Amino acid sequence: MINSQAVVLGIETSCDETAVGIVRGRNLLANVISSSVDEHARFGGVVPEIASRAHLEAMPGVIAQALVDAKLKISDIDAFAVTAGPGLIGALLVGTSSASGLALALGKPLYGVNHLSAHIAVDTLESDQKLQPTIALLVSGGHSSILQVNDLTNDVVTLGSTIDDAAGEAFDKIARILELSFPGGPAIDKAAQSGNPTAIDFPRGLSLNKDLAAHKYDFSFSGLKTSVARYLQASPKFIRADVAASFQEAVVDVLLTKAISAATETGIDRLVIAGGVAANSRLRELAEQRAAKAGIALRIPPMALCTDNGAMVAALGALAVQGGISPSGLGFGANSSSGIDRPIF
Amino acid sequence: MSNALVIDTSTNRTLVGIVSGGALLFEAHHDDPLGHGEALPKLVQQALANNAQIDSVIVGMGPGPFTGLRVGISFAQSFAFARGIPWVGVCGLDAIASEISVPEFFVAIDARRKEVFFARYVAGVRSTEPGVAQPSQLIKIAIPIFGEATGEFPSALGLAKTAESGLTYRAPVYVRRPDAYPPPTGVKFRPMFQPDLVPAFALEKSIYKSDAWTMAQFKEEFAAKDRTYLVAEFGGALIAYAGAVNLAGTCDVLTLSVAEEHRKKGIGREMLRRLIDWARTQKCEAIMLEVRVGNEEAMPLYESFGFIEISRRANYYGPGKTAIVMRKELQ
Ligand SMILES: [Zn+2]
Repeated sequence: MINSQAVVLGIETSCDETAVGIVRGRNLLANVISSSVDEHARFGGVVPEIASRAHLEAMPGVIAQALVDAKLKISDIDAFAVTAGPGLIGALLVGTSSASGLALALGKPLYGVNHLSAHIAVDTLESDQKLQPTIALLVSGGHSSILQVNDLTNDVVTLGSTIDDAAGEAFDKIARILELSFPGGPAIDKAAQSGNPTAIDFPRGLSLNKDLAAHKYDFSFSGLKTSVARYLQASPKFIRADVAASFQEAVVDVLLTKAISAATETGIDRLVIAGGVAANSRLRELAEQRAAKAGIALRIPPMALCTDNGAMVAALGALAVQGGISPSGLGFGANSSSGIDRPIF
Repeated sequence: MSNALVIDTSTNRTLVGIVSGGALLFEAHHDDPLGHGEALPKLVQQALANNAQIDSVIVGMGPGPFTGLRVGISFAQSFAFARGIPWVGVCGLDAIASEISVPEFFVAIDARRKEVFFARYVAGVRSTEPGVAQPSQLIKIAIPIFGEATGEFPSALGLAKTAESGLTYRAPVYVRRPDAYPPPTGVKFRPMFQPDLVPAFALEKSIYKSDAWTMAQFKEEFAAKDRTYLVAEFGGALIAYAGAVNLAGTCDVLTLSVAEEHRKKGIGREMLRRLIDWARTQKCEAIMLEVRVGNEEAMPLYESFGFIEISRRANYYGPGKTAIVMRKELQ
């Protein structure tokens, strides 16, 4: 089925958002998200069992609402797509099982898709430009990678990734020691507004020449985390806003330095920034300045499409349909650690 | 005749059947404790091959290990929604019981962590809410036990019969609470620093008495390579400390000590969680710890994190003091 106007319903349950999106070709028809983030806040992190329970409870309502928003019946859907990995295994399985139930009941094709590719695929919605090849900086609570995207459905190469914490995780952990709320990204972004980003010179991980040889496009945030903890210990009268702003600056600086140099050095003068951390206001601001200076075309999807959502899964499913890629078949289950070398299962 | 698609994933078995007016049209299963997600769609496809017309869905709602259980329920809900047909949830233990005809018995299925989900039946009727227990607790009561251990699983006919009995569920029968506890309020967790050594050592002595590390050992351990140490503070006082070492890719918990009066508040749990996080950032393949025989009160905590006993070391804590060695894989 090669159909540029295929209607695809995408399901995303890899972490704490139960999300369903519907697209027709590159047009977004619905994007419904139910989050269990409030239930996790008191734990300072996502609790897998709580997330999985919430997915099962929310799923029927989220699917129904997406169909209402799109003004469609379930039988109008041409193909289904679902995040099959990476993510929390129990959470993923609620999504893949629901998607297989829908697809089998209706005899429609089903695509199991890679969550990371989907984050980038969302950029193709509502756009008719040529977007590939591109360099992608993917930053969220679960991932921090620089990718070379030659073709979203079958040729994505990892240039570098974090060797310890994901950027979003670093935000969560620093928010915890600064006694800010969970999730840490928005909390630090807000606290940093009134702070001085150059007040404290926190380290930029893997940026020294000796590290660059082996880890040119890799990230490390654990040293930064330790450095912030030491600073707080040594400075009882610290200014929270300055710590937040200086920490944020260190993360954003190293992310952008490496992403821009990947674009320059590969000669691919496009950069897309995706994932939950792309909602960070300082990252967006600095990315625009630096991309303009380097002559790189920068794209950042709208905020609502940066965090985990179903539209991105539907968008990648639609690209698979348009590319004539055969459906995933039954029984792909879920793979908590699937790599980006396998965009479609 | 009205065809019901019957699904159960509450045991190690993935079961799919089609039942029509009390007659079995199709039944197939796949035994794999971690394979429900892969097996279920394939089995349903086989079932539909000769019976495309489905009028309702019956699904086992548990109790059962959660991850597998939700595969069946999630699939069933969506299948019924897409076809515009009703779905009915039943208790899988009831389905097993519906095919047993002794006066009084237990049905028990694997709940992992050396426990079983169970219910008691008298004259074919369930006399307790489904619960969770250690098998040894059930054995003490001298009535027969049926279930996975004796080769009994929910069958398609049993599930369909139970659906007709009217005792039905719209939500999963979880029994266990989610494996999550909020971190204790008012307690601050942070890395250990040099000035903490004095209060930590005082705590060490008060807990371990003559078995305590000496201050010299304490200092040496703290300064050594590839280690992490953290402390918990409450009202400005140090109330717990913990440490771990990365020994060539295997993390070993060196100490996890909580002041007597602050135990059973989730402090040890939070510290262990942080040590496990650290071991993961170190890319360790496993994390190990030792528990003194006689200190079994800590075992459920470790088991809840997935530690399992791998060996015992005699005289580990001194003459006659045996250590239980526990290990959790991190890959
Ligand atoms: Zn994500």
